[in-house]
Amino acid sequence: MISTIVVAAVVGIGLGVFLQKGRFCFVNAFRDFFAYKDSRVTKGVLAATLLTMVFWGIAYQLGYYQGFWTPRWGLTGLVGGFIFGVGMTYAGGCASGTLYRAGEGYLQFWLTLLFMGVGYAGFTVAFPTLQTTYFEPLTFGEGVSLFAISPVPAGLLGVLVAVGALLVYATLIGRTGTRADAEERSTAASVRPAAMLAPLVGLQQFARGTAEYFRGVAEAARNPLEASKQPWDPRSAALGITAVAVLWFTQVSIVGVTGPEARWTGYLLSQVGVDAGSFEYWGSILFQGQGVGVTVDMVMIAFVIVGAALAALWSGDFSLRVPKRRRLPNAVVGGLMMGAGSRLAPGCNIGNIYSGIAELSVHSFIAAAGIVAGVYVMTHWIYREVGCAI
Amino acid sequence: MPSIDDVTDAPDELSDERAEELLEEADLVQDMMGEVCPYPQVEAKKGLQKIDSGELLVQETDHVPCTENVPRAVGDDAEARVWRSGDAKYRIYLRKQ
Repeated sequence: MISTIVVAAVVGIGLGVFLQKGRFCFVNAFRDFFAYKDSRVTKGVLAATLLTMVFWGIAYQLGYYQGFWTPRWGLTGLVGGFIFGVGMTYAGGCASGTLYRAGEGYLQFWLTLLFMGVGYAGFTVAFPTLQTTYFEPLTFGEGVSLFAISPVPAGLLGVLVAVGALLVYATLIGRTGTRADAEERSTAASVRPAAMLAPLVGLQQFARGTAEYFRGVAEAARNPLEASKQPWDPRSAALGITAVAVLWFTQVSIVGVTGPEARWTGYLLSQVGVDAGSFEYWGSILFQGQGVGVTVDMVMIAFVIVGAALAALWSGDFSLRVPKRRRLPNAVVGGLMMGAGSRLAPGCNIGNIYSGIAELSVHSFIAAAGIVAGVYVMTHWIYREVGCAI
Repeated sequence: MPSIDDVTDAPDELSDERAEELLEEADLVQDMMGEVCPYPQVEAKKGLQKIDSGELLVQETDHVPCTENVPRAVGDDAEARVWRSGDAKYRIYLRKQ
């Protein structure tokens, strides 16, 4: 047990540090992509997810893993994910972003966490009704990971999907480059070969970008103390997150945030006299009949806040930040929607977009689509006065 | 001096002295303390619509990601510089193009 707690501390602190230093935010990743076509953080999120998928696939194939999280799939992922996506965009931080900002000293995100707790509790009370009116009619099949059912070995499948995603990405950036060239030359004959060369041009650009990134990191490493205080590239955060996620996968489980938070809510309420175990959702589902207590994943996410606080203190980014009154609705309504949405899906941005896609869970593909759709709609609403790029 | 800035694509930083000088000549100062993304981005875009070309908009913020997100959000509309106090307070200087 002690060794598991140490793993939880290492993984939690590591996640907190990498999230804070890389400004690794899922709201930013999608919102700024929709609003300004700013894809820097989006690329970090994609890199972390794909790298984790490759390593988890290999770990699964070799038998070094503790289990997948594969909820039953259906429209619940789409509906809950959408509510969660709207909520996180309105709140200004996703499930993981809320944790690291709480660590940086934002009182607003402690309030968001509190109202996420209210959302979890409200869901738990309504669960028996939701079971018959929402989950049963909207769930279509058993949850499954493609790693488990694919005839292709899991490690190879992970690599194939990652290579496929890289080729699509290379084609997209290559096409943007070659289209500009083609327009300059403006001859029809040169357009077709240019279009066919798009993936190659894109791969070249990708290789150049990657080489440049590693040169930058090598240079920064010459002065490690100074560099560690500066903001980090989201790609650095992606590499760090992948490393701790692989450790967590081999020792405990996949990385999740809102599940453990919902358990914290039940546990804290049980500490003030509520018989949390008697509620079906806490008792038999979240704590699986083991009794309401502190589980190792609850310890891990608490350490995410600690890690973010340490990283912020080190960088001179820590301060107790008091929200303006006009932002309180964002914390209250956003928090409630994130709490309730993550249970209705089930799963948050980390459970579904990061871990869920990295473990190729069918449910998570649907929930991720729901979350991204929620961010898209809410981004257009927030930017209604100044305009969106997409 | 090699720096992680080479791979983070952040706007140039101002010295303490220059930051103070520029703050005095600012045409519009927005108090964004306690505010989180995306609202400073939206306010920066609105603020730039109010001032003329060549004029200076300064945002005071304690939200770290804003120092990168706001300059990227305004794009070519303004030339961006940032100032970091080293104590969780930042200013974003946007000179309208």
